[in-house]
Amino acid sequence: MGTISLTIDGQGVEVQEGKTILQASREAGIVIPTICDHKDLNPYGACRMCVVEIEGVRGFPTSCTTPASDGMVVKTQSAELTTLRNRTLELMLSGHPNSCLVCVHREACEKYRPGATKAGRATRCGFCSNREECSLREMALRAGENELGLPTLYSAHNVERSDPFMDRDYNLCILCGRCWRICEKIHGKPAISIINRGKWARLGTAFHKSHVFSGCTFCGSCIDICPTGTLTDRFARWYGKPDDRNLSACTLCAEGCSLFALTKSRRLVATRMTSFQWEASLCALGRFALAQIVNAPERLIRPAVQEGEDQIPCDWDTALELAASELPRFTESLAIVVSESTTREDRFLYARLAERLGASLIVVPSSRNGVEKELQGFTADLEKGRFRAVISGGDFLSAELLKGLNFSVVIDCLPSSGARGAKVVLPAAVLSEVEGTWRNVSGEVKELPAVSLPPGQARPEWQIICQLAQKMGLEGFEFKSAREVTSLVGSDPAPRPFDGEPRRGLRQLPSRFRGHLAADWVRPLEAFGMPSTPLEEMTESSKEGFEILERREVVPNMYFIKIMAPQVAKFAKPGQFVILMARETSERSPFTLVDWNGAEGTISLIIEEVGRSSRELISLPVGARVAHVSGPLGMPLPMEKKGTVVLGGGCYGIGAIYPIARGLREAGNHVIVVIEASSSYLLFMEDELKTVSDELIIATKDGSRGTRGGVQEVFVNLVQRGVDVAMFVAVGCTFMMRMAAEATKPLGIPTLVALNPIMVDGTGMCGACRVSIEGRTRFACVDGPFFDAHGVDWDELFSRRSAYSREEIEAMPQMVDLNALIHPHGSGGGCGSSCSHR
Amino acid sequence: MSFKKIQEQANLEWEQFTRSKPLRVLIGSATCGRAAGSMEVMQAFEDELNKRSLTAQTGVHEVGCLGMCYAEVLVELTGADGRRVLYEGVGPGFVPTLVESHLVEGNPLLDKAMAVMEGEDLEGVAHFSQLPNIQHQVRVVMRNCGVIDPARVNHYIARGGYSGMHRALSMTPDQVVSEMTASGLRGRGGAGFPTGVKWGFARKSPGDVKYVICNADEGDPGAFMDRSVLEGDPHAVLEGLLIAGYAIGASQGYVYCRAEYPLAIERLEEAIEQMREKGFLGERVMDSSFSFDIKIKKGAGAFVCGEETSLMQSIEGKRGMPRSRPPFPAVSGLFGRPTNINNVETLASVSAIMEKGAQWYQGFGTEKSRGTKTFALAGKINRTGLIEVPMGIPLRTIIEDIGGGVPGGKKFKAVQTGGPSGGCVPAQFMDLPVDYEHLAEVGSIMGSGGMIVIDEESCMVDVARYFLTFTENESCGKCVPCRMGTQHLLKTLTDITEGCATPEQIGTMRKVGDSMKKASLCGLGQTAPNPVLTTLRYFEDEYRAHMEDRKCPAGVCRALITFHIDPDTCTGCMACASACPVDAISGEKKKTHHIDQDLCIRCGSCRQACKFNAVVVN
Ligand SMILES: Cc1cc2nc3c(=O)[nH]c(=O)nc-3n(C[C@H](O)[C@H](O)[C@H](O)COP(=O)(O)O)c2cc1C
Ligand code: SF4
Ligand code: SF4
Ligand code: SF4
Ligand code: FES
Repeated sequence: MGTISLTIDGQGVEVQEGKTILQASREAGIVIPTICDHKDLNPYGACRMCVVEIEGVRGFPTSCTTPASDGMVVKTQSAELTTLRNRTLELMLSGHPNSCLVCVHREACEKYRPGATKAGRATRCGFCSNREECSLREMALRAGENELGLPTLYSAHNVERSDPFMDRDYNLCILCGRCWRICEKIHGKPAISIINRGKWARLGTAFHKSHVFSGCTFCGSCIDICPTGTLTDRFARWYGKPDDRNLSACTLCAEGCSLFALTKSRRLVATRMTSFQWEASLCALGRFALAQIVNAPERLIRPAVQEGEDQIPCDWDTALELAASELPRFTESLAIVVSESTTREDRFLYARLAERLGASLIVVPSSRNGVEKELQGFTADLEKGRFRAVISGGDFLSAELLKGLNFSVVIDCLPSSGARGAKVVLPAAVLSEVEGTWRNVSGEVKELPAVSLPPGQARPEWQIICQLAQKMGLEGFEFKSAREVTSLVGSDPAPRPFDGEPRRGLRQLPSRFRGHLAADWVRPLEAFGMPSTPLEEMTESSKEGFEILERREVVPNMYFIKIMAPQVAKFAKPGQFVILMARETSERSPFTLVDWNGAEGTISLIIEEVGRSSRELISLPVGARVAHVSGPLGMPLPMEKKGTVVLGGGCYGIGAIYPIARGLREAGNHVIVVIEASSSYLLFMEDELKTVSDELIIATKDGSRGTRGGVQEVFVNLVQRGVDVAMFVAVGCTFMMRMAAEATKPLGIPTLVALNPIMVDGTGMCGACRVSIEGRTRFACVDGPFFDAHGVDWDELFSRRSAYSREEIEAMPQMVDLNALIHPHGSGGGCGSSCSHR
Repeated sequence: MSFKKIQEQANLEWEQFTRSKPLRVLIGSATCGRAAGSMEVMQAFEDELNKRSLTAQTGVHEVGCLGMCYAEVLVELTGADGRRVLYEGVGPGFVPTLVESHLVEGNPLLDKAMAVMEGEDLEGVAHFSQLPNIQHQVRVVMRNCGVIDPARVNHYIARGGYSGMHRALSMTPDQVVSEMTASGLRGRGGAGFPTGVKWGFARKSPGDVKYVICNADEGDPGAFMDRSVLEGDPHAVLEGLLIAGYAIGASQGYVYCRAEYPLAIERLEEAIEQMREKGFLGERVMDSSFSFDIKIKKGAGAFVCGEETSLMQSIEGKRGMPRSRPPFPAVSGLFGRPTNINNVETLASVSAIMEKGAQWYQGFGTEKSRGTKTFALAGKINRTGLIEVPMGIPLRTIIEDIGGGVPGGKKFKAVQTGGPSGGCVPAQFMDLPVDYEHLAEVGSIMGSGGMIVIDEESCMVDVARYFLTFTENESCGKCVPCRMGTQHLLKTLTDITEGCATPEQIGTMRKVGDSMKKASLCGLGQTAPNPVLTTLRYFEDEYRAHMEDRKCPAGVCRALITFHIDPDTCTGCMACASACPVDAISGEKKKTHHIDQDLCIRCGSCRQACKFNAVVVN
């Protein structure tokens, strides 16, 4: 193929024949906005952002699909093109939640809330796990588009979370088609494609099958190529944008696929394919399970030694010294068992140790379901009493076997029943935590950098062996790093081939890691039929408990729930809250009382799905029982006559101010209720609030209804209008209350806010809900929740609220969400749409 | 067998068909006829003839659609005198009388007769060609529809069929392409691209495997021209496809026909079989060195699958979704090979042109729009049906003379041409010549030939909403302007009809429409705003009335109207009160009646029931 020359924006450009105008422009350093285009995909032409003008050609062809030809004269910038692109972008955004992009408070909000809220549906950027990496958002902000002339058409698709590892929120999808195209490119026949037409068009599998049965191999490419927050890695999503990426390899089976390890603050967040090619693809284990194994909360973090029946945690020296004093006694009757998934350096040192001690070395390969078979001979030898002591680098031997020995050391990363029988347990750093090299089945040697920090006191095995050997007085173990060992390893054998093709079939995945059943630590793998140890009977939603009488998603993420709780209903007062536990094992979480009926014995709440506990609660169906309801808690708000009072509500606060409005109005006040939401389709309870207020004013951040902005803008308007406000009460998210407080402070209007710090017991004992009001420490659960807004130390509150963000992320359920299957979230669809055309 | 021999045989059969039996019954049995009950009528004839032992003397045949769908079931009878008389609106119950009077006694029934097809004059019955609705028509595409038995290839051949292909084979492919270019034929699928030029591209495109496709997806709501031709004269289309294949150098043809046309598909399958028997398909077509075969592919009824690139994806077994051009199908089409795709009507014209010559075809139509065009007349018009007229004919002739005007003496308001992709042409353009250029000038398009007549009682916002409902549903969803634009336009139109839109939204609709036209990927999205933009252009006042005054001037949009009884015209006949489904009307006999606005659900039953036009809409 020859070269051709064309003119782009007056610049002469030479490119190879066959290139598109977009490619030619890029080569010439000319930037054209694109979304559906991707360097690894064929031209598609769906987003229409890349339009250009070509001399002699009618209309506005898309540069990504139009081949460049000799002598062509192209214009990529003109007033008309800018208008056209902005309008197309506007159309695109109108089908995607966009209120944060046009919100007047965006910058302040992002400053105070740097992390995205872990909502169920992403109804705005602030609720979207992809916020930091979103191409659409980036493009919109770059275009300076913050005035949408079109209403948002929120389609209220169900969030799909019934498949392992993936969360899919098609309400964010802009149908760029990248996902199905990459799937087709990598796998030939795509597991997903566009289904339905018109406004119902979306991505999906044929016949709405689960991904597990759709031919999907869980390579994760679709997630990685999706420019929006539609397709997400359930585990990685809430950690935010990784800050480092390193080439590494997966050592879970003999294939040893190369991968990119993505880390954030030296924590492994995800592992990905190194390029969008079949050759580079990963299996479900390599793509999704690896990071979850490394991050398993159950990881061994401290050495332990056996004392009597118990294993007592101890320091490294104690544990190593005990092992060093015992092991040399056994020589030929000592066996060392290691997994092939360890680094070459580790295995080299294990081998050297075995050799020096005269012990036997058994190397266990990875396999689909036959690790036991590999070990059969060895176990038989053990039973026959051939060995008296063992060093086991994994979950290879039962506790009985180990107990029957004279001495045993387990060097491992995860607890196991076997390890409970060991004399010494040493916590090992594994996978992305360990530096070294690895030879795969084709003989290639791959580099494994240490990119994440091991948990607690866990150490790499090479280091453990060296320290142990040195303590035994052996020579040849004076290494300062794994790198020093590498050159000594020489031509070690390649691992034995794996008995399956994990990248082609979900039923061919390696089932064990260091002898552990992978599905025990990464439960979603069970969905692929992988063996696992049955969990102890999960606490069923208790038969005792408090029955749920009503449950509906009034607007996306916002659930109205009515519960039978006569004792609470009898004593409830406006402004009080309750603490709920969905199950016996759940976290305790506070919710403000929205309504109650002492005669019926019912209470009503608005629960916003923004994390694990709320997710648990809202996924309980009508008829199920909430394990615990304690309350009413907190100091009621005094229902006194003050004159004109303004009540501001946002998010769940829209519901929470309802009883307060009712009470204050009954007390003879003139009640003005102001509610705010990001967009019109997120407003709710308007009719109810009208009945308990003298005036209802609405504000939306995107201006889709009422005043553009939030409660504070409306409030300032009211004051300017001459309304003599005696008191202002704001209930909502911390950000909203802070903004409200800042607005009323200069006006000198008494302002109360309902603080929502993290609470545990709700009785003033735990101190979790500590807040500082005018320099004094108060407990929101007993002294509050209402406090003088102008005295609150907001910065402290923000930082205390985010103190557990990492734990909160870890707590997000990773299991196949059966609740989502049984009680799909579509129930809110109707409401979302009915609200939008009010 | 030589083509000459084949023709001789065919003539014999045609001769038999027309003359062999003393009596003959032809029954219009295309989909329109069948819907009106032609199969029952056929059975009634067979029973009656049997009863009278006339079966041996009488030929009973199905024929295609004459285009006068409003008058189905159409039956043509030939009596012993050889005179052929066309009867309209024949039901099975009427058959015994017809047989008795016309066939047995030789007395045509004058009051039921529509026209004399052939033979001596009949008192008060016009000759077919003199019918006001036929007079202005020229039948090229529909030359055999309703005349021949579509299931018999010999009828087609006897009427000149396949001589076009025979002639083409005596020419080089390049000459065939030139002939087509010379004829001035433009694609009838919608865009009106010159057929000869398109063939030329595909012919010149390098590649040893090429394809030709007949687009029989006809997805416009209200359009049924292609269906009628396929049902009434399938060979005319298949011969066109054969000629196209020869011209561009393809050896495989496809007919992509929507599955909702089972009769058309049946006729096509039969016809392909017959072609094979006659040696018009397969190896060495008509003993030439040209080989060709045809496959039928059924479409699942997505409108967008009529779009050429989408259609090809669909044939390939993928999701029917348009892709950007270039590369054009002529360069890279079906399975990545050079492909030519033509519409049914285009191909039916092709066979006629090759038979009679480019010169002959040029005789019809205007300089830039040669030939004839079929239209499906529907909506508020007296004679709905299929017509074929020379290009450039004034709109008035179509509406008033051929269509017989608007029923009920109502005023003609506009006509929507080109279906959901087209626009409305308002009454002020009654004398507009109907051709590609003039329609485009007023903001509409020729499209595939749907013509929906709108009268004064139709609301233009509602009309636009109807079409947008269709396109919103049918947008494939691939590209942003179309997927989102149709949703916004429809939502706004709905809001307007429900009285909850503001005048600023007119600007928004124009803006959205403009973006869709300029930025959509395929024709669907590029044309989808046309119904909105043209109604806005000509009827902005009507839009504003909805938005500013909360009134629907045509009295259609329920949320915006109230019904009242005019005390001066009301006779107190009580017809309205009994028609009202919710008992909202009160009043005594012979006294003015009254509508309770709180109860009224604005169904309009009273208005229809009142014979004195006393119910007025506000
Ligand atoms: C949305 C859309 C639908 C179409 N549907 C049809 C159809 O049903 N039948 C048809 O013949 N052409 C249809 N077309 C036009 C075809 O794309 C194409 O122009 C035509 O097959 C070319 O044939 P011609 O040159 O004979 O007109 C459609 C075009 C678009 C954009
Ligand atoms: S899911 Fe993501 S990649 Fe797929 S079409 Fe939607 S936005 Fe594009
Ligand atoms: S995970 Fe891989 S195989 Fe599955 S749908 Fe996405 S791209 Fe296709
Ligand atoms: S214009 Fe409409 S039908 Fe055509 S590709 Fe775009 S979305 Fe699909
Ligand atoms: S990048 Fe060209 S249309 Fe999307």
